[in-house]
Amino acid sequence: MSWWKFFLPKRASGVQLDSELRFHIDELTEANMAAGMSPEEARRRAMLEFGGQEQVKEEVRDVYRVRILDSTLANLKAAMRFLRKSPSFSATVILTLALGIGANSAVFSAIDAILLRPLPFPDANQLVLVKQHNPKDPNFRTFVAPVRLEDWDRLNSTFQGLTGYYTEDVSESTGALPEKVTRAWVSPGFFHVWGMSPTLGREFSPEEETPNGPAAVLISDRYWRRRFNADTNLVGRNLRLDGHLYPIVGVMPPSFLFPNRETDLWCPIPAGISYGNARENNWFIVTGRLKPGVTVTHAQADLATIQSQLGRQFPKTDGDLSVTVDALKETTIAGSRRSLWLLFGSVSLLLLIACTNIIALLLSRATQRQHEIGVRFSLGASRGVLISQLLTETFVLALIGSGLGLFLAAATSDIFRSLAAQLPRVEEIHLDARIILYSLACSVAVTFLCGLIPAIRGTRGNLSGSLAQTSRSQVSGRNPLQWFLVGIQVALAVTLLAGAGLLLRSFQQLGRVSPGFDSSHLLSFQLSMNYGETGDLKKLRQFTDRILETLRATPGVEAAAISVGAPGVPLKYQAELKLVEGRADSEPKLMVDNRFVSASYFETMRIPLLAGETCRETGGPPTVAVNRAFANVYFKDKSVIGHHVQSISGMGYAGAAEIVGISGDARESGVDQPPVPTAYWCAPLAEPGTYFLVRTHNAPMTMAETIRRRLRDIEPMRSAYDFAPLEQRFSDALGENRLRTILLTFFALTAISLACVGLYGTLSYTVNMRQREVGLRLALGALREQIVKQFLVQGLAVTSAGCVAGWGLAMASGRVLSGMLYGVSPTDAATLSAVIFLVLIVAGIASLVPAVRAARVDPMQVLREE
Amino acid sequence: MPIEKSDLLQGTLDLLILKIVALGPVHGYGISQRIRQISKEVLQVQQGSLYPALHRLEKRGWLEAEWGQSSNGREAKFYKLSAKGRKQLASEESNWNRLAGAVSEILQTAH
Repeated sequence: MSWWKFFLPKRASGVQLDSELRFHIDELTEANMAAGMSPEEARRRAMLEFGGQEQVKEEVRDVYRVRILDSTLANLKAAMRFLRKSPSFSATVILTLALGIGANSAVFSAIDAILLRPLPFPDANQLVLVKQHNPKDPNFRTFVAPVRLEDWDRLNSTFQGLTGYYTEDVSESTGALPEKVTRAWVSPGFFHVWGMSPTLGREFSPEEETPNGPAAVLISDRYWRRRFNADTNLVGRNLRLDGHLYPIVGVMPPSFLFPNRETDLWCPIPAGISYGNARENNWFIVTGRLKPGVTVTHAQADLATIQSQLGRQFPKTDGDLSVTVDALKETTIAGSRRSLWLLFGSVSLLLLIACTNIIALLLSRATQRQHEIGVRFSLGASRGVLISQLLTETFVLALIGSGLGLFLAAATSDIFRSLAAQLPRVEEIHLDARIILYSLACSVAVTFLCGLIPAIRGTRGNLSGSLAQTSRSQVSGRNPLQWFLVGIQVALAVTLLAGAGLLLRSFQQLGRVSPGFDSSHLLSFQLSMNYGETGDLKKLRQFTDRILETLRATPGVEAAAISVGAPGVPLKYQAELKLVEGRADSEPKLMVDNRFVSASYFETMRIPLLAGETCRETGGPPTVAVNRAFANVYFKDKSVIGHHVQSISGMGYAGAAEIVGISGDARESGVDQPPVPTAYWCAPLAEPGTYFLVRTHNAPMTMAETIRRRLRDIEPMRSAYDFAPLEQRFSDALGENRLRTILLTFFALTAISLACVGLYGTLSYTVNMRQREVGLRLALGALREQIVKQFLVQGLAVTSAGCVAGWGLAMASGRVLSGMLYGVSPTDAATLSAVIFLVLIVAGIASLVPAVRAARVDPMQVLREE
Repeated sequence: MPIEKSDLLQGTLDLLILKIVALGPVHGYGISQRIRQISKEVLQVQQGSLYPALHRLEKRGWLEAEWGQSSNGREAKFYKLSAKGRKQLASEESNWNRLAGAVSEILQTAH
């Protein structure tokens, strides 16, 4: 017997029932024949006596009909009747749960899509990111030289394949205007490693992946729709990328967003490609697919062995290198994990508060229904039946609540998505069957969490006693469980508010930080370029100068400069510099953030010059300006100007550069990052990824169109793109920070509202129950102020106890927030005090209303009612 | 005059079935015959009540059923009392006696 049959009710087998009844008729027939009837007559009489066979069968089958279904239906009907009878109670519970379950399901949908599901590639758990490291130099590039990648791919035994890529922005000029597109150059086997093939057309042919083979390009689904309006006949048409024609061979599926969601095209790089010293030029990002059953550690050990062999073979270039292998999913999502779990934690606290609230509501409800329940007991209903009916009521409420919650979640998903635009995989967040199932599970959990205690308590004890008395004559206004629940709500709300308060404080602190430059009225944009152009420095300089001249000559522009990487947005260019004049071994190494800018950068950004002069754009070796942090950290009490520095790891410029000036400290790598020692290398040389910065008289974006037109006149083949005020880039860089701050604040405010509703409800209930007592006391000469004070104190006492518990919880959970805060400690007393002050005020208001109502009781009225 | 289905309280039919089955394994036909014989034709059980009752008692675990040969060699479904059914019978019997006693007490003293 299958295990599941255990859960099915036993059933009369039709065949068995037939033969059982036939036996009866046969026996009757025989008895009739024995009494002397003819066989036909005997049978006819037997059938007659037996009655309608079908009817008997039907009635027997009825015995086995699922009783649970019937009683569930009855329970559901009763529940619906109950809900209709008490609309305000039902609405409160449903709305509370809609908020709780809706917010929970929304955050869960993000967690599910980003953290739980595998990446959207076949057997995505086999995909890994491979990096090289130089243990002696933490800032050594983790990109990999193509030759080394080929060695790894050839020698390993743990990978199905290893492949590399890099991206650049290029200009596509078959349309009316040149358009910037993002191209990924991919090494052979790239799509094989991903396990993806084009939805339209074909993959690259082996010829296209050999040196000097025919050109080919695969385009993304997004680009196909945007540029070609999803034309299915486009295979074979050409794109002109930086002046060269590339025939389109296929379109990739919409889910293939690799290396990132901006990628428009993929072009093949032939194997064996290299520039200069092949083993020194590292520029591939390497991904690989493990063989089935191979673990990441195993693969890493395999590559480490291979790399040490290569190290012996090529001691100069490979001797110091080690390899790390990381699961691709891990590297994609690791940064967002804490934020998401933090949100999930807070949203679950919110749901818990909602549940607590509902328990309190149901408890007071159960007291009011004591009479009804007592009647049903005395009519013979068993306790189990009553509990199941009460639970059904709660379940119906929870179900409607979660349905409404899902609706809310879907309606607000666009807001969430725009807030969460900085998160990885955000395009994979959908409201699907899993989320609906999850919210269904939530409603079941909520039903038992909220419904069980009130149902058990409501049907407890000698309830027939309650028939004898009406609730009016009960004096008991003490309900410790309800007050305890209110306390819990307050404690949880304080915890959430404290978290939100800390995040808000650190946001406020960030807003107060002076970045060291003037970010207002700065417009930033990029120009399409490719790395091939960086070979001819002279031409590159002419190009950059011409662009900057044109910008400066545009009316409304005060100053223009370039910077590789946008200032104020996290980007690491840290590397060690060597001091040409020599440096004692005892002194710290020169670890420096290197920035490549035009000389006009300081003027454009309004970074003050503290000593010397701004770097000059010389025809010969470049010059360098350092910031104050550099001078203070590495040249304390010494003059730094006049020294020469040189790059060690081969990045930037090979030659030595003279330090000519000291600038003020600017927060170049993010507003939340303190300034680090920085060297500005003055070189008017744009490269892919360079930002053009323009200081404007008016609002920055108003200049975008003018600038675009001016540049089209002098550089018709390039596209100018990514126009944005610099201030916006700052705030985008803080996007994840803002997401969690906004959401946590929203959750916390909801939490405190719920807690107040709970406090208000419980106190109102207490007041109602004690109306008679209050009336008597007033009649006996009690002052109304005393009555108000008494109830107010009761409400505030519970709130205070909740606040104390909440303080403890907040202190204990502050650790969770560390690393997400700026300029404020996780146990910041000011924030916590403010939160508790706020909670006490709000709780005071919530208590005052029922307390005042209690004092308005008319003693005559109450006494007359007795 | 025979008392028919509608007049027979449901609980009473259950009690009668349990009592008869307690005497030994018996099939549905046998139960209906015995009720008629023992009650001297006063009680006549309709098959439309008997079989649902049998199956209900089986489902509750008071009766156990198995297929076997009847006295004339036919396949028939035999019911017998389970341990649970025996307890139920005892309690229903004493209930019935109390009720009957009380009713007849009233009938005797009230005229």
